[in-house]
Amino acid sequence: MTAVGRSRWTTLLLYGSLTVLAVIWLVPALSSLMIATLPLSQTRDGWWNLSLADLTFGNFARAWDQGLSRYVVNSFIITGLAVVLTVSAGSLAAYAYARMAFRLKATTYFLLITTMIVPVQIILIPMLPWFRTLGLNAGPQEYLGIALVHTAFGAGWAIFMLGAFFAQIPEDLLEAARIDGAGWFDVFRRIALPLALPGIVSFAIIDFVFVWNDLLLALTLLDRAHQPLTVGLANLQTPHLAQEDLVAAGTIMAILPPLLLFAALNRFYVRGLFAGATKG
Amino acid sequence: MASRRTTTVAPTPPETAPPPAAPRRARSRPERFAPYIFVAPLLAVFALFYLWPALVTVLSSFFRWGLLRPWTPVDPARWRFVGLDNYTTTLTDPSFWNAVLNTAIWLVVFPLLVVGFSLLVSILIWHTTRAGTVLRTVFILPMTISLAAAGIIWTFVYNADPQIGVLNAVLDRLGILGADWRLGPLELHPGAWLSNPGVLHLGFADLRLTNLALIVPAFWAFTGFGVITITAGLTAVPYELVEAAKVDGANAWQTARHILVPALRRPLVVVGVVSVIFALRTFDIVYVMTGGGPAQDTMVLALLLWQQAFAFLDTPQGGQATAIAVLMSAVLVAGSWPYLRQLLAGRSR
Repeated sequence: MTAVGRSRWTTLLLYGSLTVLAVIWLVPALSSLMIATLPLSQTRDGWWNLSLADLTFGNFARAWDQGLSRYVVNSFIITGLAVVLTVSAGSLAAYAYARMAFRLKATTYFLLITTMIVPVQIILIPMLPWFRTLGLNAGPQEYLGIALVHTAFGAGWAIFMLGAFFAQIPEDLLEAARIDGAGWFDVFRRIALPLALPGIVSFAIIDFVFVWNDLLLALTLLDRAHQPLTVGLANLQTPHLAQEDLVAAGTIMAILPPLLLFAALNRFYVRGLFAGATKG
Repeated sequence: MASRRTTTVAPTPPETAPPPAAPRRARSRPERFAPYIFVAPLLAVFALFYLWPALVTVLSSFFRWGLLRPWTPVDPARWRFVGLDNYTTTLTDPSFWNAVLNTAIWLVVFPLLVVGFSLLVSILIWHTTRAGTVLRTVFILPMTISLAAAGIIWTFVYNADPQIGVLNAVLDRLGILGADWRLGPLELHPGAWLSNPGVLHLGFADLRLTNLALIVPAFWAFTGFGVITITAGLTAVPYELVEAAKVDGANAWQTARHILVPALRRPLVVVGVVSVIFALRTFDIVYVMTGGGPAQDTMVLALLLWQQAFAFLDTPQGGQATAIAVLMSAVLVAGSWPYLRQLLAGRSR
């Protein structure tokens, strides 16, 4: 942006107000990071009075040993499974909705889209007995159960977002392959899938963040041995127990994976755009 | 939970490609079934884990049952049909209306905060010539944080002890920690963020400001979505237009009011609608930070129905919980109907 004829005072005001807002925005996260990396005694004395020599990773180690490790493992299993299921079933369906004609297309599209709006509570209440009927209520099957619920609830976003990427593929490319005698599935696998890959990766990352951050489904559907980190944090968070250090360390652990992925997503977008520009 | 927040980063809704005009060769049998095979896995999961349970929820809201003896569609011998009783009980229950009031506070305050603040920040950053990306990242980053974690982060900020909570440390320095103010109908207790920061007495109802203390963390976590969406909209506004307005003597406010906001109508509507949906579904933050308390001061609908269904095993309130779930979903679908229609229309454009 050019700033023709902007006075020095306006510029100062602009950057000044933005800096103040940005600092305010960072303080909450910073405060957790400090509590997580300081001994509890220092936290009790105001983390802002810290001396850098006190910084420690001990809280993370203790939080890990005191049971958070299990929650972290569960989080990765549930999230991985849910993302794989949603992305594979979602890309197939999104491709059909974007490029094919079939019966009941508009109706089923509408029903799938409602998952973007309706609260999860609409399915939550009968879910436990239903899991029992399906044999998904105990043992490792619980992971599959909640991953399938995440797939169902991610269905709307999957066909909406992935469909947009499949819709951008030029019809000529698909038609050419079809004339060469490729079947629908070959066209999908050899042409459409590679071309939509950047979009699929972005969707996978967004879905990862969403599933990783879920509290409500996990809290309701899983027993203690299979709960993810969000539920673990909610369990740790009891005001009477003096363990701010452990809670903060757990919070930082819960924040990191989506944050790192998001950083990766940003780069991915930029690279995708750049590739598109050079290939023209 | 967080709605999937990065929605509108995605391009426009999928446009249906016209079906291949005249098939150059007769499609073979498997070709004709291809679309159904493509959609089958997703629709199967969708039917089993969304449609069917949702249907059971709606049906079971007309029966009396509790969690220990859940309603089941396959065992008519155990049905206790009560018609609309669950709905009338719910609609005459003071705790339901208390939750409606608190949810209404969310519905009004949260979208206004998100839309207003992300509009302000996006426009400010748009005017910068340097460090724009860094500044934008600061406001976008909390978006990846789960609401459960955001709630915990803010309980540290709100901690009543001025040696631990940064907010009360500031109030302490200013000498207003623990003050007790009354300004007409408004009662304020700065420092008691999560117990009772204040009440607005309206005569017919008391609005608990504790809800605002919970809305702030949600707003903190959600604003990134607004900033991304509005920034994307701003890239379409030619900067020359703003320069021209300035030459014509328009001040910053007039420029924003008459040029930027009209140009940003679509992204603003998207942010507004998504944050309304988000506000009505609020659960995580309240569950983690206050559990609906103290007393019922911060109870919202999503948490109330969850407690009725899962937390109190001894009361047969399952039917009422499903009634609330049905009412909430109906309100959400009806409310977002125009938006949905637009979305679906865009698809077949």
